[in-house]
Amino acid sequence: MEYVNIVVRSVFIENMVFAYFLGMCSYLAVSKKVSTAMGLGLAVIFVLTMTVPINYGIQKFVLEEGALSWTGVEALAAVDLSFLQFIMFIAVIASMVQLVEMVIEKVSPALYGSLGIFLPLIAVNCAILGSSLFMVQKEFDFVESVFFGFGSGVGFWLAIIALAAIREKLQYSNVPAPLKGLGITFIITGLMGLAFMSFMGIKL
Amino acid sequence: MKFLHTILEKQKPNFEKGGKLERYYYLFEAAETFAFTPPTTTGKKGVQVRDAIDLKRMMMTVVLAMIPALIYGIWNVGHQHFLALGQPNAELIDKVLIGLQQTLPIILVSYTAGGIVEVIFAIIRKHPINEGFLVTGMLIPLVMPPAIPLWQVALATVFAVVIVKEAFGGTGMNILNVALTARAFLYFAYPSDISGEVWTYVPKDAATVEGYSGATALAVAAEAKFEEGAAGATERVSEALTASVANWNGAESMFSEFNMFMGAIPGSIGETSALMCLIGGLILIFTGVASWKIMVSGVIGALVMGGIFNLFGATPFMAMPAWYHLIMGGFAFGIVFMATDPVSASHTETGKWIYGFLIGLLTVLIRVFNPAYPEGIMLAILLMNVFAPLIDFYVIEGNKKRRLKRATL
Repeated sequence: MEYVNIVVRSVFIENMVFAYFLGMCSYLAVSKKVSTAMGLGLAVIFVLTMTVPINYGIQKFVLEEGALSWTGVEALAAVDLSFLQFIMFIAVIASMVQLVEMVIEKVSPALYGSLGIFLPLIAVNCAILGSSLFMVQKEFDFVESVFFGFGSGVGFWLAIIALAAIREKLQYSNVPAPLKGLGITFIITGLMGLAFMSFMGIKL
Repeated sequence: MKFLHTILEKQKPNFEKGGKLERYYYLFEAAETFAFTPPTTTGKKGVQVRDAIDLKRMMMTVVLAMIPALIYGIWNVGHQHFLALGQPNAELIDKVLIGLQQTLPIILVSYTAGGIVEVIFAIIRKHPINEGFLVTGMLIPLVMPPAIPLWQVALATVFAVVIVKEAFGGTGMNILNVALTARAFLYFAYPSDISGEVWTYVPKDAATVEGYSGATALAVAAEAKFEEGAAGATERVSEALTASVANWNGAESMFSEFNMFMGAIPGSIGETSALMCLIGGLILIFTGVASWKIMVSGVIGALVMGGIFNLFGATPFMAMPAWYHLIMGGFAFGIVFMATDPVSASHTETGKWIYGFLIGLLTVLIRVFNPAYPEGIMLAILLMNVFAPLIDFYVIEGNKKRRLKRATL
């Protein structure tokens, strides 16, 4: 039940996009078509579910103060490597994204083409790094971090396919010229955030 | 009516291309088509449109359907006012007068503020004046508490019309329900003026009757607690409802089931009466303006979620009979007038079932689970507005797949 709570909270209540406004660049750029958004969303779910637990291990056994005590070397036990946190996390994320990229290129070249530059850019998607940092901040254990990573990914996926469906519908709208494209997308994002306020304040 | 038509026809050349008032053509057009059906008919060849109903007639039907709720709301504002002052036996006419005094300015402000924005946009963007505002301008006052400051009504109306409607290109192109966004905007921008004890109009210097609380049925139900050795869970909410008004003069049975259904309870101007919403809903269904599928599935959704909570029954609110949710708060109003908005709702027939069902479900979920919001219908509808295009997308994809399968056989 506790794990379900973590997933529900990270999908709805603390949604990466609508509660923290993280991961905006790919969220805004790859949401023109539902099929592409679906591909990116699934890639993000996969990357998050993998990286958050891996980063948990790195944090626990390498980076934290006293994390290296498992080696049995006394000199290492006192070392605090947490200043390397960002670079280590990013390295893990980048390698995961490489993996996803290779798989997608092999399995679905069409999706690979339509995602374009935004696929490798998942590596610098702040929602991904953000989740790893939240995992550290919230002091999750291993299993919790798996569920948290998965939930955050699902939250992002839900947000991006909903936005993509709205933008496909928007083709029939008569948006004022200055607002066309990104302008109206920002407004939609704000309004979606307003609707997502319905979950704020729920205590699980 | 003939003479009005002649006057309009005489003025027409001034507004047409080359006339000196050309810029204001859409103002003229709006006035003309408001009073008479448009002069243009479909061509001699091709498809013939035989139905006289156009967007303006359709919107007027919705406004007509709202009239019962409005009239009842006007009486109820006065009724609640006199109850709070401890004069339950006030004359009907006094109640109506107080109601009018509070309600009419809100309606006027909403129509004026929204109307001005509409006209400015119509002239600058050169599109016809949007009929949708006829409905929105009436919906906004009906979901406002009777004591709301008028400038807030104006601000919310302008925000909703500009950001939610005109930025998307006008009627028929918006994503969220315009009137609900106005309400949500006020809710988040000025929380203290639209929550708590604003549901009854009480003048500042007037003394209220002893024991008066002004809380809505939902607020009371949410706060009901289990007590040691007290009656079973199911009765706790109704007990709390009775107890909350027990020491008011003349209002002992205010939260009885009958009263909650009739609507003689505190709340927004038009939302309290489930009966009047039912009448409005029937008008909308029989004229074919609103989708009965959304209304029915919304009610089913609320009952299912209420039923599930009944099984758990961890708090008195959860154990409350599920159908109470239908008559408390704004559920009836929201599901009849807001959820069925043909623009922001799901467009596909299957989608409507899913959309309505989830609205009902989420409403009860937010009411029971979220301590931040006593009322869930507003945000549930807005949230489903956001997901309606997605539902449609997958329903259409499903249809395509099914048909392709049939075709290849």
